[in-house]
Amino acid sequence: MVERRVMGLRIASVALAALATTCTLDPVQSEAVADLGGEAPGVAPGPLHRPGQPCLVCHDGSTAQPAMSVGGTVYGVVGSASALSGASVELTAENGATFEATTNAAGNFYVEASAWQPVYPLRVAVAFGGLTSTMSTIIGRDGSCAACHVDPPSRISAGRVYLAPSAALLPDAGAP
Amino acid sequence: MRLARDVCVLALALSACAAPDPNATTPLDGPDRASFDSVQAFLDHRCGTLDCHGTRYRNLRLWGHDGMRLAFGDVPGASPTTTAEVDASYAAVVGLEPEIMNAVVADHGANPERLTLVRKARGTEKHAGGAIVSVGDVRDVCITSWLSGATDETACAAALVYP
Repeated sequence: MVERRVMGLRIASVALAALATTCTLDPVQSEAVADLGGEAPGVAPGPLHRPGQPCLVCHDGSTAQPAMSVGGTVYGVVGSASALSGASVELTAENGATFEATTNAAGNFYVEASAWQPVYPLRVAVAFGGLTSTMSTIIGRDGSCAACHVDPPSRISAGRVYLAPSAALLPDAGAP
Repeated sequence: MRLARDVCVLALALSACAAPDPNATTPLDGPDRASFDSVQAFLDHRCGTLDCHGTRYRNLRLWGHDGMRLAFGDVPGASPTTTAEVDASYAAVVGLEPEIMNAVVADHGANPERLTLVRKARGTEKHAGGAIVSVGDVRDVCITSWLSGATDETACAAALVYP
């Protein structure tokens, strides 16, 4: 009888642990994750996946790994869907601490939470090929660029994060 | 004696259950709108970004250049804050706790921490954005001087670039 109880407790513990690692009990967060939809065909989960989506919805330390403190996608030209690879994203926290990340082939960049936890508000600049674009406002507290920067621009979104205001001003990839 | 007591109890119970007056209003004697512009500029900059109070998902909603725009066609970070946006932000700030706001203004800004606005900004009440101001710093003075009826324009200007 006692053995059965112990076994039952073990099974319940394992089930609970599995539940905790595979899903969240927060319906708002669950909905936010569901709203992101599935993976794009041919793109496996990893640094190149889901460009333009709010990274920290999942990469919050519990739903998906790695946990991120800041993450987003940079595009070359305003209004364009062409990602900008190799751009430097320079982050400056309120206490003066800085962190630099580089965009990958999908235009994605991210900062692992274990590497840097910024003190908000944050200021951000994107640099590439000698051109630097500085965000005109601060980031109050959300490390996901795409929480605010979604396409198209509207009264509640500044549009995608971009480097150049026009294609003519976009530096060549090989430029210094 | 017993009947009188029962009648009193019944009267009390009935008065407690009385429906609220549908025509009742709270007159809004908020702080000066004319001197709110500089306060709004600070609030827009520090509190009104799209990921904080520049969103429709907050009880306290702020509109302006740095965050949510009021007019369709205006985009965050582009055109300057409009008068309509300052008006809307003023209404949001003053209307958050109108009765308490009236009391603080009537007391010339004394004990401003009666307002959730001030407690949250100071971080003495749970605030997702943490402590935004410290008692006596230019950001705090910008807000509290406005509540007192004499907006410190110098503090508000300094608050825009603080620290």
